[in-house]
Amino acid sequence: MGSFDFEGKPVPFEEGDTVASALFRAGVRTFSRSLKYHRRRGLYCMTGDCPNCILTVDGEPGLRSCCTDARKGASVERGEGWPSTERDVLSVADHAHRFLPVGFYYKTFTKPRFAWSLAEKVIRRTTGLGDLDVDRAPSIPQVRHVAPDVLVIGGGVAGLAAARVAAGDGKAVLLCDEGRIGEKVAPGGSLDRIRALEADVRTLDSVTVLERSTAVGIYDGPLVAIAREDELLRARPERVVVATGAVERHPVFEGNDLPGIWLGRGAARLAGIHGVVPGNRAVVVASTAEGLSHASTLLDAGVRVALVAPRAFTERWPADAFAIPDGRVVRAHGSKVISSVDIAAGDETRTLRCDALVLSIGLEPRDGLLRMATELDAVVAAGDAAGAFGLDAAEESGGRAGRGETSAAGNRRNETSAPAPTAGYVCLCEDVAVSDLEQAWEEGWRSSEILKRYTTATMGPCQGALCGRHLARFATERSGSAETGARTTSRPPARPVRLDTLAAGIDEIVEKRTSLHDLHLELGGHLGWSGSWKRPFSYGDWRREYHAVREDASVMDVGTLGKFLVAGRDARALLDRVFPTRVSDLSDGRARYLLALDEAGYVIDDGIISAVGEGRFFVTSTSGGADAMEAWLRNWADRLDLHVHLVNQTAMLGAILLAGPRAREVLSGLTSEDVSREAFPYMAVRDLDVVGVPCRALRVGFVGELGYELHHPRRSGPALWRALSDAGVAVGMRPHGLDAMDLLRLEKGHFFLAQDTLPDDHPRKLGMEWAVDMEKESFVGKAALQRMAELPLERKLVGLEFDRTPERGAPLHLDDRVVGRVTSCSRSDALERDIGLGWLRAVDGRFARRLRCGDTQAIVVETPFYDPEGKRLRA
Amino acid sequence: MTIEVPCPNCGRRPYTEFTFGGELRPVEASGPEEDFERVYLPENAPGLQEERWFHAFGCRRWLTLRRDTVTNLIDGLV
Repeated sequence: MGSFDFEGKPVPFEEGDTVASALFRAGVRTFSRSLKYHRRRGLYCMTGDCPNCILTVDGEPGLRSCCTDARKGASVERGEGWPSTERDVLSVADHAHRFLPVGFYYKTFTKPRFAWSLAEKVIRRTTGLGDLDVDRAPSIPQVRHVAPDVLVIGGGVAGLAAARVAAGDGKAVLLCDEGRIGEKVAPGGSLDRIRALEADVRTLDSVTVLERSTAVGIYDGPLVAIAREDELLRARPERVVVATGAVERHPVFEGNDLPGIWLGRGAARLAGIHGVVPGNRAVVVASTAEGLSHASTLLDAGVRVALVAPRAFTERWPADAFAIPDGRVVRAHGSKVISSVDIAAGDETRTLRCDALVLSIGLEPRDGLLRMATELDAVVAAGDAAGAFGLDAAEESGGRAGRGETSAAGNRRNETSAPAPTAGYVCLCEDVAVSDLEQAWEEGWRSSEILKRYTTATMGPCQGALCGRHLARFATERSGSAETGARTTSRPPARPVRLDTLAAGIDEIVEKRTSLHDLHLELGGHLGWSGSWKRPFSYGDWRREYHAVREDASVMDVGTLGKFLVAGRDARALLDRVFPTRVSDLSDGRARYLLALDEAGYVIDDGIISAVGEGRFFVTSTSGGADAMEAWLRNWADRLDLHVHLVNQTAMLGAILLAGPRAREVLSGLTSEDVSREAFPYMAVRDLDVVGVPCRALRVGFVGELGYELHHPRRSGPALWRALSDAGVAVGMRPHGLDAMDLLRLEKGHFFLAQDTLPDDHPRKLGMEWAVDMEKESFVGKAALQRMAELPLERKLVGLEFDRTPERGAPLHLDDRVVGRVTSCSRSDALERDIGLGWLRAVDGRFARRLRCGDTQAIVVETPFYDPEGKRLRA
Repeated sequence: MTIEVPCPNCGRRPYTEFTFGGELRPVEASGPEEDFERVYLPENAPGLQEERWFHAFGCRRWLTLRRDTVTNLIDGLV
């Protein structure tokens, strides 16, 4: 039908083949090398429950090849071993268990101290399953939300029955299955029943069947995460029916991980579905009726079968075929693949030659998902997953779950009993043998949970699907306590998930743009992320932009500022109550600097408040703090039961800062209103008409020059910007970006919140006591500030002067002690000095004045550096 | 973890639309000691808790919810 590439050789495949079945047909027996000891591993479960068939397909590692469709032209390779998986020199590790005992990373290669760093490099290279190409471009799926009435997980007999019954009751049903319906079921009674039920279900409009859709986690709600090739579903159903079936018990005996040893369903599937026999001489160990049917499937496929089974089964076995009644497996032999097996029956042990050993010794509910939801009443189990083994029992159980008659309490009936393992590999994923568990037990790790953590058993790709119960049985038997030996906690993901899927939805990010975005691009602006906004950092030459502000005039897009209109009967009372700034006496047309403190007295934001008349206030906050400011104000209005209307105008208003010594010249030509120093002084607010655009103008100055912040309707932004730019040509105006502003504000000693400040900064640490009115009766954080006022100041933000500008973030040293850190620094053109801000810690209750910063000296100086009297600001 | 929050304005919505505002604490205290407790020593007890949620991706209003912090079951609005 086609072929794919396997390590440089073409491998043909047939209709319905998986990568695993095609490779097996082509003669591949060693599919992977085990995690630690590089033991050969071959096909085993064929149902996606073990790690043995994990391969790399088209560069994507970690794929279970038994669940991966063979595809024309695909490139398939095995990940482990050197020089190859087939001839793996690293399998010497299998003879070196002494050096890689369980928990080896806690105890070997630890002396001398440098030994571990060398050993770690080797161990990291030689262990693991496959290689991840970290340069591969991710393809991150979208998230889709669905809310069916009933979600059925698993399209087997119980799941299909549940879907049919629920749909009959008028429910909207979503049924998801990891593979395709019936895909993993060998021909026989089970498959016939599934096909019949499927035919019914496919005719029902209210049932949506999603194949190749893997439920990987159940969360409170219930919320079920379903991974698909190109999307992640977040399903939020009223009820979840977990019909994930059962996995055959993983037999543990000496040699149990040799290639050629199969779980019954795997061997039957290979022979029955893919038409490939697992071997020519098979020993089939069956203690269930299902196992007997697998033996028949193999016999029909032409395999010479020796049946080891209870006498009741062997008596029904054809007289010309070989059978050992009531036998059990003792040990398997072989090097590359199994060559013989010791079977004990009665007092006798016989060695049978074989090239396949097929084991069907019982079923264990596949309950990884179910056990994530033990406390959720809306999640119920059905069929094999609920321990209702057998076709009729499964269909009946599915029907009851579909009808909503099953209680979640029934989910706990799914435990099975079997003896604890005594020898062999318990955990195939992590290479943990019974001897490892015994050793860990002797070392004192004496419960199932702690054994799991120490040995890493159950922590591999199969997530305990095969070994979880064995681990619990081991711990229960050793401790004599069911509680100590309880199953370990089940957590998502229940099935392997691509990293891309875990990141689903993460690229659905919001890019906020101001109305001037296109203009910035036209002007050659270098736009970058600033929080969730895209903003210009410069227009090519930030030093020239800086000089325009200091010497002529400049515009900047400050539309990202948080902007709030606060109105209503109690507007003034609210603002006076929450901010440390006095608002009660703020007269109309005036503005004040605003700090916002949390209840611990720490600075959370800053901005400007202005009284705009009729009892209304206009509040601005930092760009990054806008969302939090709105929530914060609303919360206080709500909690204090004040009658306030708050409109978040951040998105509806744009804002342009016009600043520089000649800013007034520019503005006065564009408005008929009086913008003289007397009519519109510093820290005033006016409503201005600027070339027909209604602006709320604030005379503020973060950059330290005469400045006007023009808040305007968003749609008028481009027209206003153009008018200002045109009028500015005569005075040499140019726009400035964030880079220029960074130096401008630094020269004024203004901090950038979160760059120069820490989360536990109260105003005193920032030298901002002037912005706090402790005379006020109350404000948020006042009690905390009073408490802290009595404590000595341990740290503060200071102005710094250097011989040479250091790296931002550089430590400040006093003798040999680090006593601070530089948070902002730059060469100041206006001052012809190297200046900065930084943290300084008190030493013996005093703050040093002379510090060292790398190979430059740092002197603590007063701020602002530039125009300390604020004459330019008030010009 | 996932829960649905019964917003009085928007109906039942996934919690990811909300900002968690912490356990409901008094807005004022009678003295410095009480204020210290109010600010720094929340109950943080297992069981039913009254807590604040802000519907950031919805009506942008606050609500006070009664939730069992052990089971995540919601016992309505306060």
